[in-house]
Amino acid sequence: MVFVFTWLRAVLLFYRSIAPFMLGISGLILAAVLLPALHEGWGEGLLPGLLLTKLATAPVVWYLSEQLRPGQYWFYFNLGVSRRRLWSGVVALDGLLFLGGVLAMRAGVA
Amino acid sequence: MSPAGPQVLEADGIQVAFAGRQVLASIYLRVQTGQIVGLLGRNGSGKSVLLQTIFGTRTVADASVRVNGRRVVPAFRQPGLLNYLPQEPLLPPSLTLRQAARLLGVDLGAATARFPELRTQFDCRIGELSGGSARLLQTLLLLHADTAFSLFDEPFSGVMPVHVETLADEMQRLKQRKGLLLTDHRHAEVLPLCDVVYLLHHGRLLKLEGNVKEALRDYGYLAH
Repeated sequence: MVFVFTWLRAVLLFYRSIAPFMLGISGLILAAVLLPALHEGWGEGLLPGLLLTKLATAPVVWYLSEQLRPGQYWFYFNLGVSRRRLWSGVVALDGLLFLGGVLAMRAGVA
Repeated sequence: MSPAGPQVLEADGIQVAFAGRQVLASIYLRVQTGQIVGLLGRNGSGKSVLLQTIFGTRTVADASVRVNGRRVVPAFRQPGLLNYLPQEPLLPPSLTLRQAARLLGVDLGAATARFPELRTQFDCRIGELSGGSARLLQTLLLLHADTAFSLFDEPFSGVMPVHVETLADEMQRLKQRKGLLLTDHRHAEVLPLCDVVYLLHHGRLLKLEGNVKEALRDYGYLAH
């Protein structure tokens, strides 16, 4: 239980450092694809494809993050959190935020 | 220290080569709670690689890291076992010291009790501190964290002499409950602290006994 709590806090902290990239990509997908689709009336059924597109961008952010900040993990390692656990949490959180964005946009347009 | 007695951290079977050059070849290292163990070696001898391999963030095939005979790879995933101070900044830039201490489970007031001038910096982010203060505070955070072992890669780097002396006293005091493995080129400060001294020399880890300074001169680590 203690570890799960530490992991969640580590994921939130780490997400803050990459949020500009992750949220930027989400915003781009929503604004460039979903919003016009909803306005033109063909937005229904787009969600799985958009979510997959969003998930497919995670490796790009991961790669850039590794290249630009190779020493960023030491604090998380000292909390007992590995790279894999950190990134799996970040991808899940980002996916949920993206999903929230999609639903909010749908509700806003409807 | 564990109520069941001292804990013993051992590492061996570590072989690392870079571009065909064998950096680590014949390694056996032992640290016990209640001990400060010094790891010396020339630049590029593989000290940081060895520490990171023991910590478990560098994967080395056949590496064996054990605590009381039980394999613990990767060691950093074992709760309360060990922590590691890298040469580069430890803390994320967005985090204040107070937040970092809370996440690490450290009482920041107690950790800095011997350094009252640092108390005004608890709400600073690491990038807002001087290099020496940042290094000292990061070392103190890990030193006071509740782990059985701490691995320190150049903890005295950039720290002013008066703080080095106090930090060394803190290490001596806290070794009562944990084992410390440290590497630092400030041998004048490190050697008096250590119960055991190892030298990494051409990929081999040599345990120095007897006249340590003379041995360091013989192996070309010291000039005089």
